[in-house]
Amino acid sequence: MSAISPARRLRLPWYTYALAWTYAALLVLPLWFVLASSFKSNLEIFTHPLALPASLDLENFFEAWDRTEMGSAMINSFIVVGGSLLLTLLLAVPAAYGLARMRTKAGVVTERIFSSGMLVPGFAALVPTVLLAIALGLFHTRTFLILYFPATALPLTVLLLTQFMRTVPVELEESALLDGARRWQILRHIFLPVVTPGVATVTILNFLAFWNEYIFSMLLLGSDARVRTIQVAIPVLTSLTQTDYGILMAACFLAMLPTLLIYAVLQRRLEDALLQGAVKG
Amino acid sequence: MSLLPGAVAGSRLAADEQADGRAAHNRRRLVRRDLGFATMTVPALVSFFFFTIGPLIAVFYVSFTDWQGILSRPKLVGWKNYAKVFSDPTFWGAGQVTAIQVLVLVPVLTVLSFMLGYFVSLKPRFGGLLKVILFIPALISLPVKSMFFIAILAPTGILNGLLTSVGLGDWTTAWLANPQTALAWVILVDLWQGIGFNAVLFSARLGAIDPETFAAAELDGAGHWQRMWLIAYPISKSYFGVMAMLQFLWTLFGSAATILLLTNGGPDRATTTWSFLLYYKAFLSYQIGYSQAVGVVLIAVGLAGMAVILRLFRQDY
Repeated sequence: MSAISPARRLRLPWYTYALAWTYAALLVLPLWFVLASSFKSNLEIFTHPLALPASLDLENFFEAWDRTEMGSAMINSFIVVGGSLLLTLLLAVPAAYGLARMRTKAGVVTERIFSSGMLVPGFAALVPTVLLAIALGLFHTRTFLILYFPATALPLTVLLLTQFMRTVPVELEESALLDGARRWQILRHIFLPVVTPGVATVTILNFLAFWNEYIFSMLLLGSDARVRTIQVAIPVLTSLTQTDYGILMAACFLAMLPTLLIYAVLQRRLEDALLQGAVKG
Repeated sequence: MSLLPGAVAGSRLAADEQADGRAAHNRRRLVRRDLGFATMTVPALVSFFFFTIGPLIAVFYVSFTDWQGILSRPKLVGWKNYAKVFSDPTFWGAGQVTAIQVLVLVPVLTVLSFMLGYFVSLKPRFGGLLKVILFIPALISLPVKSMFFIAILAPTGILNGLLTSVGLGDWTTAWLANPQTALAWVILVDLWQGIGFNAVLFSARLGAIDPETFAAAELDGAGHWQRMWLIAYPISKSYFGVMAMLQFLWTLFGSAATILLLTNGGPDRATTTWSFLLYYKAFLSYQIGYSQAVGVVLIAVGLAGMAVILRLFRQDY
């Protein structure tokens, strides 16, 4: 970040503030709307959309919880996301270590494969992915998502982790080797401390991507409440004739809760993660 | 720098050859060492190829088959699907919708994000708080975003409620079910979500510009508008291009999910893009071959568009 001294700072005209904050308000208002509406009836939402709710009745939340079978949806989401995160790291950490230490052309080629992989739009292969799940006998199972999500996250994850791994000097590693340390000991005692922030970064990024993923989850899991994730469960609450918006908004709020909590706790770290993830892309 | 390379080669000394031998030995050792590290990348590569590159290649194969429904058997039919696609008015209609969506969304989004990013990069008052807010849309999932826009835009939603309460009751409409407004709202929803995060990215890039550059311009009496477009923009031109390109790919391929939840491609195909058509043909009308022929068109258009955008925004110094 540059440090422009206040004396040299060109004053920003008032309307730039007005425009920027109007947009900011448009970003915050829906959040407020979701929260406030969670406590309202359809009639109250329509007549006083942005007002404070008249009562803090939790009935919409209970109703949303029951109608979407949110208990099992949350558990399914945690199973899919947790399993995918773990598998991603199991595949990416050794790959990044190898990539960071390779010195021949093969290393450059491998790195290029991963970086061009980041440009592959997953959606293009939607249909064959579904066919693959069927061919493997894993259609409508969480297992397939746990195998599939890491593959989509690997390019970025491997590249970011490789950068962290490269900060460990080769000499440090080699002198440890001479002292008779085993490879896994090196990985544990020398690399892990350096790489932990990198692992945190990619895990946050991947958590957001996996938790929020919708279209692949919807097609691959189907509408069976026993396997569907929370993002797949929410749209079930809309209907063409009579949607109860209070209940729908309560469900949305519950689905956002984990990410909002993480943002509240890890704000700086999450912002850095998103920036790093995007700059690489 | 020798004019006679043959002569040089002929006068090689034994010592050179020895050195060559050592180099070859070192090289062999390096290759053997790398082989060990390379095996560590194999599981990741296998997973990546099997689950993402494999299916992507399969798109081409499936586009040459007659495949009616996900669970039936395919039959090779040559170019038949392409013939059907290119003679289908629905395909061309969807192409028009896609063109409008991409040509409006990508420039508007990128320019507005750049301007907001410039604003944030100057560290305005309360800029920290602003940045926290700008990150919010990056955290919201597609279904949640779509659901609250449905609540806002429904016939009895808050937009109509607000319009009625300020005496503009005549303007109310079923925003997502009206062919005149549905596509506009699909684009606006993407704008709403996209500007914030892209602006933060631009601000990070613009924050790296040496303040001296701006200071010199100020002495010349340049205002913000000039600073933004005559200094900040040329410096970050290729970054601007990459952002536009990513947004382009994202819109071209990824619009199906939002459209599925907001409008289901309607009313009367007003929001059926190629991306949505691909989804619709595969999963709702069981013409998988047709759907994947559209997929191949998307991939071709995506590659061509990428090349054009990168060309347009090549750093020219």
